[in-house]
Amino acid sequence: MPDRAPWRPAATLETLRTRSAIADRVRRFFTERGVLEVDTPVLQAGANLDHGVQPMRCADRFLPTSPEHALKRLVAAYGQDVWTLAPAFRSGERGRRHQPEFRMLEWYRLGWDDALLADETVAILRLITGLPGGIERLSWHQAWERVGLDPAAVQAADGFSREERLDLLLTERIEPGLGRGAWTVLCDYPATGAAQARVRRDAAGRAVAARFEIYRDGIELANGYHECVDAGELLARHQAELPGHPGCGLDAAFHAMMAEGFPDCAGVAVGFDRAVMLALGLDDVAATMPFPH
Amino acid sequence: MTSIPISDVSKGAKLIFDNHPWLVVEVNFVKPGKGNAFYKTRVKNLVTGNVLEKTIRGGEKVDTADVSDADMTYLYSDANGYVFMNQTDFEQMTVPVKVVGDDKDFLLENMECQVTLWNGEPIQVRLPNTVTMEIEYTEPAVKGDTQSRVMKPAKLKGTGSTVPVPIFCAIGDRIMINTETREFKGRTDK
Repeated sequence: MPDRAPWRPAATLETLRTRSAIADRVRRFFTERGVLEVDTPVLQAGANLDHGVQPMRCADRFLPTSPEHALKRLVAAYGQDVWTLAPAFRSGERGRRHQPEFRMLEWYRLGWDDALLADETVAILRLITGLPGGIERLSWHQAWERVGLDPAAVQAADGFSREERLDLLLTERIEPGLGRGAWTVLCDYPATGAAQARVRRDAAGRAVAARFEIYRDGIELANGYHECVDAGELLARHQAELPGHPGCGLDAAFHAMMAEGFPDCAGVAVGFDRAVMLALGLDDVAATMPFPH
Repeated sequence: MTSIPISDVSKGAKLIFDNHPWLVVEVNFVKPGKGNAFYKTRVKNLVTGNVLEKTIRGGEKVDTADVSDADMTYLYSDANGYVFMNQTDFEQMTVPVKVVGDDKDFLLENMECQVTLWNGEPIQVRLPNTVTMEIEYTEPAVKGDTQSRVMKPAKLKGTGSTVPVPIFCAIGDRIMINTETREFKGRTDK
């Protein structure tokens, strides 16, 4: 980024105009399809508990790492497809593809599964970025095979645990090759990486998560699930994340909703700023924001 | 020595790893969506010049190196090394021979250099990019041939070191030398 006085915005006026026009297109897209725009709170009583994602605290509240909990409660309460473009906060994430504060475009589709929602997500990413290209579906295992790596053979090394080495190899060897000239839907994650997705069996009989991520030009743009509706299972997953999230508590209202019954649906979150970055051919997500951190 | 979170480290920071000071040349944050965060850095060893890639876990702390640059004037050499005078406080300091290294070939008295200090000790001397030196001895000049790329050795006055110069150069010529590449850059009247 060029040097500028500290008070000046990072994004150019032209970038802000494009960003605003993109938000208009997104709004029309959802209005035409009967998905309701909603506002979600920026302060929530309980924390999102996703592996490797650290929420920020604000007095006795937590800032959302995604508007997921509020949107799911609306879906459960009203049986209505909903979407929002909301601020999200993640502690300690800052780089060319990350900002501690960013905008998440997130929506839920009742009765849909992950495959159907992945198609709609690509449609909206095409609308946002204007980039052409077909959809390439790639299972997590295929992605490793394609670069000649066997995830089962990866071991702890160089002071990093096996799990850390898998993440490093993913970012170094696999992600850069994804979404080259196409929209890569990386799907069928290992069950251990299910996050908030339900688990099913793949053709080979392996337990896989009904989770997908969408990549373009080596950049991860979206993460979606055929949602886990098993309240006990999801509570156990969140409880298992508590030790890795010091100072965080369960979101009681969210789990109360789950216990009462969460409908069959699929949901996805798109990193809006990254999508705008691709639309503009920029190389730093901060350049899409008026005031990045 | 101060510890700071790796998330606060940016390009140009000076850190200590393995008891050596390193300059951060590049730093990139990487993280799979729901995975572990890492900072991938390229760091340059401020003593040896070695460059390596170092991956640091997000959330870890790193030690900062107390490294600073001082403008100093070279005075003379003695048995212990090269004596410089700090232009700010006029204190004298002896820089060990191995820190100056091959730069001794172009180090002339009263030359203004930049000395990098780590915990107050000199670890690197940077000469001006270009130095002007006088040819003390070289084979007789080949007159008229100022286009030739044919080179011959020339011994430099003051340091006694030898550099390749074009064949049109003569004894007593003042020549400019790039201290990084050790290449002849031209003759000068200065």
